[in-house]
Amino acid sequence: MPAKIAQRLMEMPEGSAVALRMGAEQYFDTIRAILDIYAPKKELDALYLTSTIPARSIISALEVLEIPVEHIWFVDCISQIMMSASEKHPHAIYVESPTMLENIMLKVEYLIRKAKDRGTVVVVDSINSLAIHNNTKILSEFLHILVNNLRSKKASTLIFSMEQYETEEIRNMMNLVCDETITVEVTSSG
Amino acid sequence: MNVSTSSGCAAETASGHSYSPQAFRRPMPSKEREAPEERVERCITGIEGLDNILNGGIPRGNTILVTGAVGTGKTSMCLEFLVHGALDGDTGLFVSVTESSEKLLKNIIPYDFFEDRLVKEGRLHFIDIPVMYDRLGLDKPVFDYEEIHILTDAIVGLVREMRIRRLVVDSITSVSYRLKSEEIIREFVLRMGAALSAVGCTTLLVSEISPSHERYSTYGVEEAIADGIIVMGNLERRGDLLRTLQVVKMRGTQHSRTKYVLDLTTTGVLLVPLLKGGSIATGGA
Repeated sequence: MPAKIAQRLMEMPEGSAVALRMGAEQYFDTIRAILDIYAPKKELDALYLTSTIPARSIISALEVLEIPVEHIWFVDCISQIMMSASEKHPHAIYVESPTMLENIMLKVEYLIRKAKDRGTVVVVDSINSLAIHNNTKILSEFLHILVNNLRSKKASTLIFSMEQYETEEIRNMMNLVCDETITVEVTSSG
Repeated sequence: MNVSTSSGCAAETASGHSYSPQAFRRPMPSKEREAPEERVERCITGIEGLDNILNGGIPRGNTILVTGAVGTGKTSMCLEFLVHGALDGDTGLFVSVTESSEKLLKNIIPYDFFEDRLVKEGRLHFIDIPVMYDRLGLDKPVFDYEEIHILTDAIVGLVREMRIRRLVVDSITSVSYRLKSEEIIREFVLRMGAALSAVGCTTLLVSEISPSHERYSTYGVEEAIADGIIVMGNLERRGDLLRTLQVVKMRGTQHSRTKYVLDLTTTGVLLVPLLKGGSIATGGA
């Protein structure tokens, strides 16, 4: 399945904004498709914006999956609000809270500047967890500015949406800012 | 029935008043109107977001008040302005009033673009004002017109001698502590601003204000005289403290007046628009 998802992403033009709808079971397959196949093939730096689980947990999962993090950078919006004393990772920068949406944009801008010549794909994980901490109005504004800013830099945006937690408002928001929605289906082939 | 009117003809109203259509026509943008904005020589700050806000940079020779509470990034932004200028060929001078330049350089953000050679090659200068006071024999606790003239002449003299194109005084508030009347502060800022503008030096005057302050400067005089005002503040929103920047005045150019959120990074000051969808509990400076 990761190869299939990656294939769909490869077909998207640069600067696209894509909504990735999935169930919890497809979560790691989707991450693998982006970070292990799509981004390396396209020689992109991946900026992984997490408000769902701490960056450290994702990095641990990537280590298990033997996915190198050399070109993956994390904007972790959840660790600090959890007040956890977890070890900081050199590829992760931290935003105090997922409510500080402007600071998330600033960290993304900072990492893009650091990436210099390489292209960038920004992964937003996930719209549902951001919606826990922010109202729809400010979240729509955030996504609209973020996506258009990234588009102007020819950077693609991939926004995760967990089907179980989708609301009508979230669906409308995603339709408004995204060029395409890819629904990650359960397949028997794996 | 002919209802057409030719351009420029005058008509008469029922009340007998005559009018010309031109008198009611909105002035169209013309080359002459656009020209002054285009002709303005810009001092490109090198801070990408700020240059965008200012429509290309600060008009060269302007004296700008950079004002805000402590910890809002005033000094860092001013230093970045000087470093970018030095890299671009504009010699810069930082007049430090509140802390020694040695301490300042020690605590400076390790900018990715900073090069030691800028100081060694004389493109970036730092002067501590207490040292200047000593050399000029200004040892009075309160300055009068005479002392102010000596001080401004000395600063302007340095600017001329070292061919300074960008000057930062950090802070004008600390200098003004010794000036006991609004008239003397006015004289100081006006005299210095006029002389520096005449030599094409773009100046940033740092002003310290408390977060609850309703004015842009401690004495209320500096803001009236400056060509531009950049306000840096802290904005509290639902318990989060955001650093903000807003250009409220800039002579000689069109500019955005909206509020931006900023971050001080090793790549320099970064700015994004303040999101307006959320409720704002309290406003800072």
